[in-house]
Amino acid sequence: MEEQEIIAGLRSRDRATTEYLYEKYSRALFAVISRIISDQTIAEEVFHDSFIKITRKIDLYDESKGRLYTWMANICRNKAIDKLRSKEISQTTKTNTIDDFVFGLESQSETKDHVDGIGVRELMDQLNTDQKFIIEYIYFQGYTHSEISEEFDIPLGTVKSRVRAALQVLKKNSSRI
Amino acid sequence: MDIQQYIESGKLELFLLGELTEREREEVIAMAQAHPEIQAELDALEEGMFAFDDMTGKEPSSQVKDKLFAALEKDFQEDTSGSIASNKTEPVKEAKVVKASTWRPFAIAASLVAILASSAAIYYAQKFYETDEKFTALVLDQQVMADNLNKANLEFEETESRLDRIVAGDFMRVEMKGEALPMQKDAKVDVFWDQNAQEVFVAVNNLNSLSDEFDYQLWAIGEDGPIGIGLVNPGEKFTLQQMNAVAAAGAFAITIEPKGGSESPTLEKLVVLGEVA
Repeated sequence: MEEQEIIAGLRSRDRATTEYLYEKYSRALFAVISRIISDQTIAEEVFHDSFIKITRKIDLYDESKGRLYTWMANICRNKAIDKLRSKEISQTTKTNTIDDFVFGLESQSETKDHVDGIGVRELMDQLNTDQKFIIEYIYFQGYTHSEISEEFDIPLGTVKSRVRAALQVLKKNSSRI
Repeated sequence: MDIQQYIESGKLELFLLGELTEREREEVIAMAQAHPEIQAELDALEEGMFAFDDMTGKEPSSQVKDKLFAALEKDFQEDTSGSIASNKTEPVKEAKVVKASTWRPFAIAASLVAILASSAAIYYAQKFYETDEKFTALVLDQQVMADNLNKANLEFEETESRLDRIVAGDFMRVEMKGEALPMQKDAKVDVFWDQNAQEVFVAVNNLNSLSDEFDYQLWAIGEDGPIGIGLVNPGEKFTLQQMNAVAAAGAFAITIEPKGGSESPTLEKLVVLGEVA
């Protein structure tokens, strides 16, 4: 199904389209949330709310302002960050790190079997320390680039270029994973 | 602007991460529309992100999906078999109607709860203020009673100590009468005098009250003439009023003097007189 069809289907409240959306994107969107929230139950709660929001607010989505996945991932990411910063969760959960995450992935039998591609560990190994640091804080702990700049005293421009370098690695390898 | 430089600025990545301000977003969108290279870079980056997320993610548990679709059940259109594009406008309208009708009971329930809660709040607030007023009144009453009790205690102690002195001391009683004088025929005041201790008390038996400008003054009349030893309160009957010390006196007398008493007695206004026996 093309992105345009998915959007049209969602807008007409079509069940089949919604199911297709779930099948195609739930894994990725849940990953976005799980990186920020380690507690499975809370992460699933956030995912539930995010998915409801995506289907109900689809009329607010503007194709001219970005692709569908970007819009959905941002909804999930923002909901997860909101939850993380709410009092409810900050006392009970420890934050994820890349290592915890990769370890968790490797120990999960239900993770997709990537026979042809490279693994997450190899992918992460391609990042240098600075890039890893940026990915850890932006992707895994829900920091914004200006928060990283302030908290760790790294110039904003440097943060930006490290984000870019790190995402470039992901982009280059996206065909292989 | 150098397209390559723009691509390398890091802005596109932040755009995808949703970290740009509205103004910066507009700029990226405009740039992407104007330059296919930028759009291509954005698409590739997004695909990279999706692939990474998809690869690193795991399915949420199956209950999540069941719960989700149960919650979305009301949203779905009855007729999904027909062409989506052709009946696009109609269903959206219907969906809104369905939404409105599901919201109405909630709205009504919420308003009812709000009204109930508000009336309860007002009712209890009033109760509170009433109780608060009663409580304040009680506290005031209690203070007045405590004051009265203190006053009574003081008076009792004073009286007791005077009684002790009267009983323990060597007091002689000097009766002062108005019978022989023109002012108040029935006036009668007693002086109690302990010569050793030089203490003097008076006890009013009968004495007319005076207007505010005047006082009764007690005089001890000795060899040096009359000496003013205090003002007598005609209202305090049958209680002992302490006067100044007197060592020697042949007689006691009371005159009416201007408020606060005088240096020497106004003899025309002599009320009572009593000689020491």
